[in-house]
Amino acid sequence: MDLSIIVAQAEIAETAGRAIGLGLGTGLAALGTGIGLGIIFGKTIEAVSRQPELRSEIQSIQWLGFALTEATVFYGFIAGLIAFFV
Amino acid sequence: MRRMTYLLGAAIVALLAPSTALASGDAALNPSDEFALPPWVEINIGGLDLSINKAVFYILLATALTIFITIWIANRMAARPTGKAQVIMESAYSLMRNNITGGNLDGKMAAKWFPFIATLFLFIWFSNMIGYLPLPTNTMHTVDVFGLEIPAFGLYAATANISVPLILAVVVWISYHVEGIRHHGFIGYIRSWVPAGVEGFMVGPILVIEALSHFVRLLSLSLRLFANILAGHLLLLFMAGGLVILLGMGLAGSLIIGVATGALGVAFFLFEIGLVATLQAFIFATLTAIYLGGAVADEH
Repeated sequence: MDLSIIVAQAEIAETAGRAIGLGLGTGLAALGTGIGLGIIFGKTIEAVSRQPELRSEIQSIQWLGFALTEATVFYGFIAGLIAFFV
Repeated sequence: MRRMTYLLGAAIVALLAPSTALASGDAALNPSDEFALPPWVEINIGGLDLSINKAVFYILLATALTIFITIWIANRMAARPTGKAQVIMESAYSLMRNNITGGNLDGKMAAKWFPFIATLFLFIWFSNMIGYLPLPTNTMHTVDVFGLEIPAFGLYAATANISVPLILAVVVWISYHVEGIRHHGFIGYIRSWVPAGVEGFMVGPILVIEALSHFVRLLSLSLRLFANILAGHLLLLFMAGGLVILLGMGLAGSLIIGVATGALGVAFFLFEIGLVATLQAFIFATLTAIYLGGAVADEH
């Protein structure tokens, strides 16, 4: 086989690997974040149904937890972008 | 309420307009163009690039809005408020005063740091919100309107550029360390990182981990804001036509995908302005207050 074909193949494989890394990394990060968000909102519903008088207090903590958890998907996304472009 | 609906409708139509403008021309779409920063006014001082570009314009706009809107509302304060501006500002004030600052800092510290935290909250909020208004700032593509070359509409925000959240995070990071050292003394502050109950040979490794976690705070505080806004803008860009152009599936395919992603784009737009913009400003200000409170707390 001609050597240039192998080199070209390797270049395609590198680009493809980067794309797979970006997609898979962000997707897996979204998986974990989704589980985390489900736990947060589920626990909030549980807590509010147990003690409805604490609703506003629980909700403010819930949004804090939501924002902190939701940000983790973007860490995966940024890491993917670094893998893709750098 | 009706006026708000019209404004929102106009904003959504304007949001979807860039895609049609781009699609009609023969210019190839490059998604990273949306975040390119061509200099508008070139300023070079000793090799330092201080050019005025899109990002600088957005910072100045957010700063001006933060200052002038708050001063304007403060000057129109009345015991019997007319209009909604004062009511909205008062509820924002009570959120910043009671929830963000008062909930995490005790009396004296809260009074001392409230102006800083409130300014952070308002600046980030205004910066995020103008990021979702399509403004004619995309000088790389121009639209011909009756012979007049005006820049294409684009979405951008000062907070979608890593340098702005990073410098805000650095300011917060330095100020909470300074406050901690002022309260405990340098040795006492470092010692306060170690949780109560840790003794003997375990103090060293715990101290290293805690020191690392302080640097991770710097990273997470800036990345959270930056990545949220950046990802929001990218999502809107792809939904409002970017995906259709990139896929290039002919007329019928483009129409089907365009309608589907356009509807999704409107939903994401509402989600971004309704929740993400405010929540990110809230979380940044809240974490600042938590870090400041943690630095002066007696027990770790």
